[in-house]
Amino acid sequence: MASKKPDNATVSDELLNGTRRDFLKQSSVLTAITLAPTGLVKAAESGLDEKIAAVFEKIPVSLTVNGVKHDVSVEPRVTLLDLLREQLHLTGTKKGCDRGQCGACTVHVDGKRVNSCLSLAVMHDGHHITTIEGLANGDELHPLQEAFIKHDGFQCGYCTPGQIMSGVACIREGHANTESNIREYMSGNICRCGAYPNIVKAIYEVSKGGQKV
Amino acid sequence: MNQFEYIRATEQAAAVKALVKDANTQFIAGGTNLIDLMKMGVAKPDKLVDITRLPLKDIKKTPTGIHIGALALNSQVAENSLILQHHPVLALALNSGATQQLRNMATVGGNMLQRTRCGYFFDVNMPCNKREPGSGCGAIGGINRMHAIFGASESCIAVHPSDMCVALAALDATVTVLGPKGERRMPFADFHRLPGDHPEHDNTLQKGELILGVDIPDARQTKNVAYLKVRDRTSYAFALVSVAAVLNIEGGIIKNAKLAMGGVAHKPWRLHAAEASLIGKQATIDNFKQAAQIAMQGAKTYKYNEFKVKLGHNTIVQALKTAASVA
Amino acid sequence: MEKELKKSVIGEPMDRVDGRLKVTGAATYSAEFNIPNLTYAVLVSGTIASGTITAIDTRAAERAPGVLTIITHLNAPQLAGYQASAIAANGKPNYRVFGGDKIFFNGQPVAMVVADTFERATYAASLVKATYQKDEHKTSLEDNLANAISPSRGKDYQRGAIDAYKTAPVQVEQTYMLPTEVHSPMELHNTTAMWDGDKVTVYTKSQGVKATQQSIMNTFKLTDDKVQVNSRFVGGAFGSALRTWPHEIATVMAAKKVGRPVKLLLTREQQFTMVGYRPKTIQKIGLGATADGQLVGITHESYSQSSVFEEFTEGSNNVSRFLYASPNVTTRYKIIPLNVGAPAPMRGPGEATGAYAIESALDELSYKLNIDPIALRLKNYAENDPERNLPYSSKYLKECYSIGAEKIGWSNRSQTPGAVKEGDWLVGYGIGCGVFGAHRGRATAKIRINADGNVNIQCATADIGPGTATSMVLIASDALGMPTDKITFELGNSAFPQAGQQGGSSTVSSVGSAVHDASLALKKKLMELSGKTESDLSPGNYTDIIKQQNLPYLEITQGSQGGDEGSKYSMYSFSAHFCKVHVHSVTGQVKVVKAVAVVDAGTIINHKTAGSQMIGGVVGGIGMALTEEALFDDRYGRYINGNFADYHVPVHADVPDIEAVFIDKPDPVLNPMGTKGIGEISIIGFAPAIANAVYNATGKRVREMPITPDKLI
Repeated sequence: MASKKPDNATVSDELLNGTRRDFLKQSSVLTAITLAPTGLVKAAESGLDEKIAAVFEKIPVSLTVNGVKHDVSVEPRVTLLDLLREQLHLTGTKKGCDRGQCGACTVHVDGKRVNSCLSLAVMHDGHHITTIEGLANGDELHPLQEAFIKHDGFQCGYCTPGQIMSGVACIREGHANTESNIREYMSGNICRCGAYPNIVKAIYEVSKGGQKV
Repeated sequence: MNQFEYIRATEQAAAVKALVKDANTQFIAGGTNLIDLMKMGVAKPDKLVDITRLPLKDIKKTPTGIHIGALALNSQVAENSLILQHHPVLALALNSGATQQLRNMATVGGNMLQRTRCGYFFDVNMPCNKREPGSGCGAIGGINRMHAIFGASESCIAVHPSDMCVALAALDATVTVLGPKGERRMPFADFHRLPGDHPEHDNTLQKGELILGVDIPDARQTKNVAYLKVRDRTSYAFALVSVAAVLNIEGGIIKNAKLAMGGVAHKPWRLHAAEASLIGKQATIDNFKQAAQIAMQGAKTYKYNEFKVKLGHNTIVQALKTAASVA
Repeated sequence: MEKELKKSVIGEPMDRVDGRLKVTGAATYSAEFNIPNLTYAVLVSGTIASGTITAIDTRAAERAPGVLTIITHLNAPQLAGYQASAIAANGKPNYRVFGGDKIFFNGQPVAMVVADTFERATYAASLVKATYQKDEHKTSLEDNLANAISPSRGKDYQRGAIDAYKTAPVQVEQTYMLPTEVHSPMELHNTTAMWDGDKVTVYTKSQGVKATQQSIMNTFKLTDDKVQVNSRFVGGAFGSALRTWPHEIATVMAAKKVGRPVKLLLTREQQFTMVGYRPKTIQKIGLGATADGQLVGITHESYSQSSVFEEFTEGSNNVSRFLYASPNVTTRYKIIPLNVGAPAPMRGPGEATGAYAIESALDELSYKLNIDPIALRLKNYAENDPERNLPYSSKYLKECYSIGAEKIGWSNRSQTPGAVKEGDWLVGYGIGCGVFGAHRGRATAKIRINADGNVNIQCATADIGPGTATSMVLIASDALGMPTDKITFELGNSAFPQAGQQGGSSTVSSVGSAVHDASLALKKKLMELSGKTESDLSPGNYTDIIKQQNLPYLEITQGSQGGDEGSKYSMYSFSAHFCKVHVHSVTGQVKVVKAVAVVDAGTIINHKTAGSQMIGGVVGGIGMALTEEALFDDRYGRYINGNFADYHVPVHADVPDIEAVFIDKPDPVLNPMGTKGIGEISIIGFAPAIANAVYNATGKRVREMPITPDKLI
């Protein structure tokens, strides 16, 4: 990675030589200087204190997950999926491809189903996220969770949270009125075990049942 | 993914300014393409300007047609009553692309800006003039089954992957952008470009320009439309070829025809000559076949995509049949 | 009361015992444990297909924030077990992760970066730059057929006259290509390792924790008390987790080096190069028959890709030796060593590949003879195993044919291709048959009944999706005469009693037998303790006996294995797959509109989960026939579609309603439950059913899978 030459002479030699962290660019350093106490500035300039630098790279985000407000600080490159799994330990949301190609990471953001792997956590400040862990009402399973068990809409279970989150949204969107509609609008959720017919049955049954989902 | 700065834009002018200021800054909206490219090391922005909170989400009627804000979600457009009423082919095209989850994230502007799915472009360990100008084109002598048969160059044979854009091309939309020097408008057909010697440029946007939205002129062609996409699996796959067909048929005679193809060129491929051949003619299979033949003239194929000439022809015929409800 | 309890629960469509955990996100897969002080590893994939690493520049990566260590072949800890096996039997260097500078295939790991967060490890990995001395590489199967070799474990077979099909009045001689397919379980392969002194605990995606434990013991020269392997929930595997892969060893190695727990997740792209695949195979079939359809000879030749560093073979020719009663059979099997990762058994390994070819060729023969494909199969029905000259332990394939034909609507099929239309769609019907060996391995179960009447059973088996625990609970419930909700079954822990890997459709047969036998042993013990006879003992007495004996619980560990049945009988599961397809007459799109899979797999323990497993196999067959193909650009020896967007596994919209039908008659020989296994048989034979239906619809015979629209226009 070519390091760009900062034009500000006050930037330390280490930065120029690329011996320090490439991403901590001049502008960031200057911002840091204006904000940070002198001790921190010295530490940052000396290029030794990764922890301090890390603080500057993180951005505060406040988001509500399953009704619980979380105030976290994340690097901007952290995806919503990795925030959920690795920091909030909500591992019900799955990583299957990390590129929006399988649907295992499907969650609801402000009521809409999205692929959390292609979404930066910082972009969800103020948003309401629902994951599989937030679907049941206490011990009472969501009707679609019940239907998945009844129709055996899974085998290994790994795509299941994504299928269920997607299925609930599919019903709410009004795309679950026929089996062929369900097949099309659920095609963003891959199931390698091939439980598709059972998943369709579960979604269609709940959709037809008309209960509030 | 490299570390980058993140800022959130709350007004359009500030967003444009932020982009002009630093060399390696990009807008981010839905992120469905950009985040993927960043994960693969294809895109490495130093700064992202989050534009999702800009007020560009409207889908509304204007004196001349329908305006769609650049940040309207693909799923919102696909299910919007104005769109369904006036331009159903656009809804059909949108719904045949990606998945509901992705359509819930992807915006109209982002869809226009999505980059090719060419495997050589996505793999930083293979040559690609689009990703790394001068490195060569891996696809020309490689696995080019998905690649262009029209308008390609010696340096790039990638195709534009969008379905939405195929419909917008057929609908004669215009694009409005805001740049450092103010707003400008261009026909949708001029938004994307052919690769030529500079495949690194997918489109004609200038530095710092922000797409504000697209406008689709009024049209009374809502009944006889079709969007047909042929692909390797029934859903969630990019097009081998796709066809948007919009016909105006009165008394069995085609008064107007608009046709565009996807999966065949570096941009949505409008079929003007084929359209002209249909106007004034009866909606018959023979006339559709003739139009399809005209459309495929000049196609240039590579080792693995020869089939696209016949498949393109057949898909045009089938789309026209469907649009005209001719058995 | 007693009467009710004596009613067998075997076969009951029981909900999965872990269903609730799976639908609530509470099932914890191996990468999902909240482990204090966890670090993250990322593997750097090599970028050439053959050659030598001349240098690895890790300086930038080492300076990147959060990086704890970078392991390459230059600094990798020496592993005793690896050194011992560094040179293969053929004298060539073995592929050992970070074991040397040699590159055998593209995507081979060249470095592992460990950092304090996933993002930082990923970024630092992108900064590692390896330089290479490239050698000429070979990745094309077609271009290297001349380099085909007979594997050291020869697989050729001859019955009667050589290539006798050539003497027959009616002949089919065709070549069929099945491309590389990738297992692609939804859960990414992953491993977490943590050391505590000289003891290591590993969470990993494994189809058999005992085998993984053994591999780690061998490689690190540790005793079994020092290696704990856990793999309770496995997010699919289909064979890809049947071996301990280099990335697992690398993670254990890294955890030792950094002195902290290390978690590695392969990327989806790395699943294409690091954890096996179904090898691309070119098969030549020769069939000869009399004019009335009696087979004279079958010749089946397979050319299958393997890696340059180890031989991988599978039984793609096996089916042709005994599925039909032909007096003359010739099979030849060759492999072509290429600069590709090692293949691995993938669902229905070999047999699925072979059935595709032989069942397609048989279909071609049926049209040449103008005989209904089912009639042709009946004409050549093998009542006894013609390969081994032994009776089948059970075989109800004829019933499978007739039930399937009825359910798919075979009578609507025309023997003339392209004759049936529905609007713009051409309609076709196809049949394909499958067969897979029914096996029983040794397994041991520990069963404990507590004073409160709850029963717990433990066994180090796996559940990659079929619902193992649920079946085991049913088997124990039946054997003990106790309700299922009193019984729990635990698996996926190497500290539990021994079981083989979950593969080869053998889990219910092997582990189920152990559970069955352990349950009976427990009853026997209860009888001994109480002095009751079998007829006296009822489940209601169990807790009373334990209490009377003043025991907190009663526990039995019971091993179980088969006898010499295999020398007296040929034991197989059989399937007849049927489908109806639509092929668009203009665009060439194929839709499977109806699928019926009829299976003779002995007793079915749980109709609900067994049905799901069958349906899943059929979906796999749809992928084989219509969508899946991993494509190399041979110039670079790299996959061009090694991701989930471009390597197409079937999606919801590709899959119709699928009917799974079980003959459900017990096999009298193999095991006490009468089961034969369904994991493999579910997919074997489905792909040719589709290919045959497409031909019936269109008159076009596609002999290179997958059947994409471009091949039909």
